[in-house]
Amino acid sequence: MKITLTVNGAAYPLDVEPRRILADVLREDCGLTGTHLGCEHGICGACTVLVDGEAVRACLMFAVQCDGSSVRTVEGLAAPDGEPHPLQRAFSAEHALQCGFCTPGFLMVAAGALEADPNIGDDPERVDGLVGSNICRCTGYEPIRRAILRAAREQQGDRDGVNR
Amino acid sequence: MEQWTRREDRRLLTGRGRFVADIAVPGCLDAVFVRSRVGHGTLREVDCAAARAVPGVVGAWSAADLAELPAVPYTLLARLSTEEAVAGREWPALVKDRVRYAGEALAVVLGEDRYRAEDGAAEVSCQVDPLPAMVKPSAAVDDSVRLFDGLSNIAFQGEAGKPVEESVWREAAAVVEGRYRQQLLMPTPMECRTILAVPEGDRLTVWSGHQMPHRLRRELAALLGWSEDRVRVVVPDTGGAFGSKSAAFPEFVVVAFLAVKLGRPVRWIEDRLESMLVATRGRGQDQRVRLAADAEGRLLGYELKIDADVGAYPHLGAGLPMQTAWLATGPYTTPQVHATVRSVLTNTMMTYPYRGAGRPEATIALERAMDVMARQLRLDPAELRRRNFIPPESFPYRTPTGRCYDSGNYVAALDLALETLGYDKWRAEQARRRTDPAALPLGIGLSCYVERSGGEAGGLHEFGSVEVGEDGTITARCGAAPSGQGHETVFAALVARTLGVAEERVRLVEGDTDEQPEGLGSFASRSAQVVGALLQHVARRLVDEARERAARLWELPVDEVAWSNGLVHAAESGSAAIEVAELVKVTGPLRVADRFESGMAFPFGSHAVVAEVDPELGTVRLLRVVTVDDCGVVLNPVLVRGQAFGSAVQGIGQALYEGMTYDEDGVPMLASGLLDYLLPTFTEVPPIEVKDTCTPSPSTPLGAKGAGESGCIGTPAAIVNAVADALRIADPDLLQMPLTPDVVWRAARAPKLQEVR
Repeated sequence: MKITLTVNGAAYPLDVEPRRILADVLREDCGLTGTHLGCEHGICGACTVLVDGEAVRACLMFAVQCDGSSVRTVEGLAAPDGEPHPLQRAFSAEHALQCGFCTPGFLMVAAGALEADPNIGDDPERVDGLVGSNICRCTGYEPIRRAILRAAREQQGDRDGVNR
Repeated sequence: MEQWTRREDRRLLTGRGRFVADIAVPGCLDAVFVRSRVGHGTLREVDCAAARAVPGVVGAWSAADLAELPAVPYTLLARLSTEEAVAGREWPALVKDRVRYAGEALAVVLGEDRYRAEDGAAEVSCQVDPLPAMVKPSAAVDDSVRLFDGLSNIAFQGEAGKPVEESVWREAAAVVEGRYRQQLLMPTPMECRTILAVPEGDRLTVWSGHQMPHRLRRELAALLGWSEDRVRVVVPDTGGAFGSKSAAFPEFVVVAFLAVKLGRPVRWIEDRLESMLVATRGRGQDQRVRLAADAEGRLLGYELKIDADVGAYPHLGAGLPMQTAWLATGPYTTPQVHATVRSVLTNTMMTYPYRGAGRPEATIALERAMDVMARQLRLDPAELRRRNFIPPESFPYRTPTGRCYDSGNYVAALDLALETLGYDKWRAEQARRRTDPAALPLGIGLSCYVERSGGEAGGLHEFGSVEVGEDGTITARCGAAPSGQGHETVFAALVARTLGVAEERVRLVEGDTDEQPEGLGSFASRSAQVVGALLQHVARRLVDEARERAARLWELPVDEVAWSNGLVHAAESGSAAIEVAELVKVTGPLRVADRFESGMAFPFGSHAVVAEVDPELGTVRLLRVVTVDDCGVVLNPVLVRGQAFGSAVQGIGQALYEGMTYDEDGVPMLASGLLDYLLPTFTEVPPIEVKDTCTPSPSTPLGAKGAGESGCIGTPAAIVNAVADALRIADPDLLQMPLTPDVVWRAARAPKLQEVR
């Protein structure tokens, strides 16, 4: 089936079997291996990407369902000039990753929420909910929570600074 | 670089990490295994013909089609297995005639991609006639059904210490007993097992997320009948391991064999449901303990009897429970300690090291018994422990169970834990709640542990080198293989500090057997302790070599030539000086390689937990968790702290949530995957305060002991003790992990302590 995915702003015209999941197509057809598969049954969230701004488990979605959609993966998180996303800096600063396998999923969950609601830093319970949606086996999660809050508050601070 | 805490972070945070499944090799085939749906049975037939006709399937084989397929190797390292245990018990990589655990591979299908290979696997038909499945040691130990005809299901027996004299039990003021089940746990690294085998000329390159690349090279070369130099093992980024990724598994044997046979790249990327069925698991012990003390609470004798569930084949972990036996003494001066082990074969996947690997089982048994003893003697549990700690001046301390503890200050760790927790305040709150019928019961639990790091005799060394290039870059190489511990950051910093040069100049290369010809790997919390000591040693030898070369150049005695910050200079005159990179240009390549051996080290600590129990719902809420760990000299506090925190959460998983259950056919009851096996998520993480004390190890020049397994070892018993303390039940054995609402609800209805009296 012929589809076109827009991934991180670039168009990928593809011919894919309807049964292929989005994660496999991103990894193998688009060569974007930053999206990892941790459980392939929708629990762990390692494969989370943004489809039209919404966080989805890329193991539970067929690529053909995303025909014409805009997909964002961890490779598209940094600015075009390579400047890291505030979440990427915050994850490192808080030591919110060890093996790094689940990390792209947490980053994309957080990135989607942060873009939908820039004031999420004021709502720690919502941040808790975000962290609770994925599985990490290394960090014990608390550093991930701190990293997301840090990035959110940094963004809020930047914006407030501009507004002032 | 300063915006990244670790060197690894940049690539892992930007999607540029490189895990085995990310490596694209043209023409690579995907392997999918057809697995047994029963835990025990006689294999009658496997028919792969229909699979071979599926488009995109390149081949499908059962054991009958691959007569020359080698068997799965066994390991004698760290006495994990023994020649006697495996004798007569072959572990075929594909089942030949008898299925011994659910999910054991009956056939393999190679496809042009995984979708096609799975299409093919669905067409393989198999017939297995079921036999009675035994999933617990108690079911298998009497040999009424034997896993291997003519051989006992008890594959290994061992002991540590001498039997406690009968008079001790007879004359003690108090003797307590307990029965504890250490449930089977799944290590569950986020990346499952991986192998990619690429034949090139007369060599095979193997990529695998693995802890011991040199062992994998040795084992694969042996089973192919090749010399080791024909196999290269490369470990790229690895998504966690926790002890579970250090063997050559049946699937690895099949993949390497078929890659060579077909002359084509083949990979196996295990998926989660497959991993939940057939990856190795940890713990698995049924324990009986007896502890004796005098009226003042001085321990007199301790006895630990272990029936260990080691799985269907003794190749990987038959001897692993000896880790528990050797540590049975714990942190106490108990004069007589005896631990016995029976390793029993069952129809389950193999038990193998999982973070803690034998030490949690030792700590949990002893520390639960300590709380029962404290109750019996009406002593405060902290006071009972304090009266029995091995005092700081008694090290090195030889235990009755054969360990020689290097150093420790156990009371300091306990005091810090109690102070951090606010122990007296919580005891007061507990007393208040006991008078308030509306308040939920609250308990305080302690757990004091000592563990072993570095490895066993014969495995306490490591290999590596440091090299200076003409451009001034410094390359360190070692046999370790990380899976999230930040070696590139920590070891580069260590070498830079030893040489007095900027960190940016130093690069670490590891996890590649062509780059580093010999090595042991990363297991047993050994990397900082053993590999760190090696790299410091090699860096110091490099300094000596540079000084000697400069001395020859300048015709000076070597003791008149000094090294400072990468500059070699004459100590006196001040005129002669040369940057080490220039020295390399003048005198040729400068590289020092060596082997270095450390001693065992014994990290320790005290964990304290406050738990609130809802007797109506059976729920446990952890109000506070305090961990105090001592791993000697810390190389990188941020990373060690991260390890301690993450490890504590895994310990909470064992205490409250995780555990394998099996149906009557010996099949794990995990139909809904990770919805059936409950890993802690952030919702389950209580407030955890991580603290440390520092007692350097005399066994290694860095003074570092192993870090990272502390939470799995120390936290579970503290949690169970807190729940027992809250419920005040007469028979704490009712509380067997995991403390699910069902277990706690039932225990809450059992007779209370005072009702019995």
